[in-house]
Amino acid sequence: MFETGIRQFRMAMGMVRGRRLDTGNLARLVDDARKTIAEFGEPGMDVQQIVDGPAGDPGAREHFATQGIRRTAARLAAESPFYARRFAAAGVDPAKLRPGGLGAIPVTTKADLIDRQDEFRCAGTARHLATRTTGTTGRPAEIWLSRYEIELWPALIALSAVLTDELRTSDVMQVNISSRQTAAVHLNAASCRLAGAACRVLGVVPVDEALDALADGGSTLLSASPSYLAELVLGARRRGMGPGDFRLRGIQAGGEVLSPSVAAAVSETFGVERVGDNFGMTEVIPMSARACRQGHLHHDINLGLVEYLDLETSAPAEPGALATLVMTPFFPYRDCMPVFRYDTRDVVRMLPEEPLTCELSAMPATTHLLGKAGHLLRTGSGDLVTPRQLVEAVEGLPTRPWPARFRASVHNGRLRLTLPAGAVDGFGEAAARAHFAEAGLDVALEIVPDGQAISLRHVRSDLHETTFSARPALIGA
Amino acid sequence: MPADPDVPADLVFQSVFQLCVTIAGAVLCACLAVVYLRKVRVERPAIGVFNGRDIGILVFFLATLPVIYLLLPRWAVTCLLALTFVSALSIGYRNLVGPLRLWLGIGLLLGLNIWLARTMLGTVLGWQLFWLEGDVIMVLAAVAVANLYVQGGMRLQHVAWFALGLAGYDIVFTMVFPLTNALVEDFLGWPLDPSFGMRLGIYNAALGLGDLLVYCLFLVASYKAYGMRAARVALVLVFVLGAVAPSLAPLIINFIDARGDVVVPAQTWFGPFAFLAYLWMRRRYGRERTMREFQLAAPV
Repeated sequence: MFETGIRQFRMAMGMVRGRRLDTGNLARLVDDARKTIAEFGEPGMDVQQIVDGPAGDPGAREHFATQGIRRTAARLAAESPFYARRFAAAGVDPAKLRPGGLGAIPVTTKADLIDRQDEFRCAGTARHLATRTTGTTGRPAEIWLSRYEIELWPALIALSAVLTDELRTSDVMQVNISSRQTAAVHLNAASCRLAGAACRVLGVVPVDEALDALADGGSTLLSASPSYLAELVLGARRRGMGPGDFRLRGIQAGGEVLSPSVAAAVSETFGVERVGDNFGMTEVIPMSARACRQGHLHHDINLGLVEYLDLETSAPAEPGALATLVMTPFFPYRDCMPVFRYDTRDVVRMLPEEPLTCELSAMPATTHLLGKAGHLLRTGSGDLVTPRQLVEAVEGLPTRPWPARFRASVHNGRLRLTLPAGAVDGFGEAAARAHFAEAGLDVALEIVPDGQAISLRHVRSDLHETTFSARPALIGA
Repeated sequence: MPADPDVPADLVFQSVFQLCVTIAGAVLCACLAVVYLRKVRVERPAIGVFNGRDIGILVFFLATLPVIYLLLPRWAVTCLLALTFVSALSIGYRNLVGPLRLWLGIGLLLGLNIWLARTMLGTVLGWQLFWLEGDVIMVLAAVAVANLYVQGGMRLQHVAWFALGLAGYDIVFTMVFPLTNALVEDFLGWPLDPSFGMRLGIYNAALGLGDLLVYCLFLVASYKAYGMRAARVALVLVFVLGAVAPSLAPLIINFIDARGDVVVPAQTWFGPFAFLAYLWMRRRYGRERTMREFQLAAPV
């Protein structure tokens, strides 16, 4: 108990002073947290302070963000060639920056990261592991991570997960995300190791293999993209499997829009109360956001700064406006290839200026992600159609065309939606149009053969990883 | 039965008086600690469980504190003791009374003790008032700290090792380096004397706060670990080896070598037997209950 106090003090001092944290100390704290849960069944008082940091106190939050921005900018000005040049060109003094006054520094784009990758690497950091974006929205960006980062992030995740009961020593986590998402896979495996849980990394394998592992392997947690979850639901229903066949107690989805229809089906099929819907992005790891029960997206303010910039003016967005998320992970949480004011192009809508009443109300919130800025459509009537609207409407069809395959465009001012035949099979085009009208979408439907479905819209579950057991046997090879 | 002519009558009286005070302090305090465990939950930090290294740290502090007490000026020792008691009482009783009553109560208790020590020790009645008021502070503090530790995850195994360590410590610092004796003499009549005691005529009888704490810990940890059956065993042990044996030991020692001034530290008797009792309980009852298992079995 005395040692734990000293470890917590060391961690807190590291965070306050903005120095690299001792990852060994953090790992031992995770161990302490496990022992605490084993002895008492739950953490003691003030656990929320450890998990949420200064979220509850606006004054502390502002101070924390100011220190974080200045510390991060000072380091980048000294060690990152890209940002040294950028800050000099903008004429900013890192020591005088404030969270609300970063407008003079241009946002960093994905193109910057791809075209000048080497210039982002900080001097004096050794590369350890590269992770790439999946490239579903264009060319993939590659991010190099240092060994420090690779040890730090799982420890922070494990500490929070153990204290909030998201990870127990008795858990078996099944990971059905692409094995090429090296950072995400590593984070899952390493945080399980620290928490004393088991981790089964399967990748995007054929659905039946994943279902067998879930049912027979006793997995209690599942991490997958919404599109893969949708395929799992269809596969389970095809095989007549239900909640009684699984031992799952938690499912985490991320990387794509999770529609209410798929979320409800996942809950019903696998017998979990709720599907966790998180936001994470390779370029800005370890920053993340969590969806609450009221559907808000709550942004992490402990590990970095989130700005909400108006899509039209690039000024801080007003309540009700659409905004792109611009994110800056703080030092010492990002080390090797940090980004500053990274424009994710992920669009959210600002919430009205009213007090929040949800379980995560201490953390700033927006609507859930509505889609990428480049995928927004404006109809002739001036209405803006977001990818989330379309995914939710398509996946809400009674035919359950999961995961949603569609192409949307605007022709002569009207939304044209191309769907595979299976999406309206047995339901009818007229009924489908009425369904979309109910969802606020006036669409002209175009139906194409099912064989073209995958080419209409790529989803993460398309990143199939084949296995010998799932392939037809080769004869005479 | 005729009195043994080799044992002075005042030593017999003093031993019986010591026995009464020790039984009252040890049994009352240990039983109150169990009642507290059954009725009150102490707030604990978000992360942290008592472990073996914590026992090492505790023994180290206990070993160094007496030296510090003897080296520091008297006012500094009083401040240190006041800080200790304020911490123990405020942590232990903030769940039972509101903040106003709590701080008023702590202030009154400590303030009155300091006042009594400075003004009332000229008469036997004054001494008795001083002891009685101090005894309330000691019992409250020992009950609170024992629960803070046990409800913080301290197991019977830890308590047994702690008692064994203190037994060794007591032998060394009573027989080899008579630090304990010096402390007992030095503290007598000073504010916040960390002892449970009473005065009758010219005799003062006292039991150290550390001893009270160990008895509370042993009984509370036994109850938490194995329930009432183990608590009964622990209570008998506290009574016989924590109260009776050390109190009557001077009579026996005097009978052997006629040195009535030999100080017999309580833990020397209690520690080894407490450790053996723990080994017996572990063998008989198996694994100790965790705090969670205890709470599920006996919710507050």
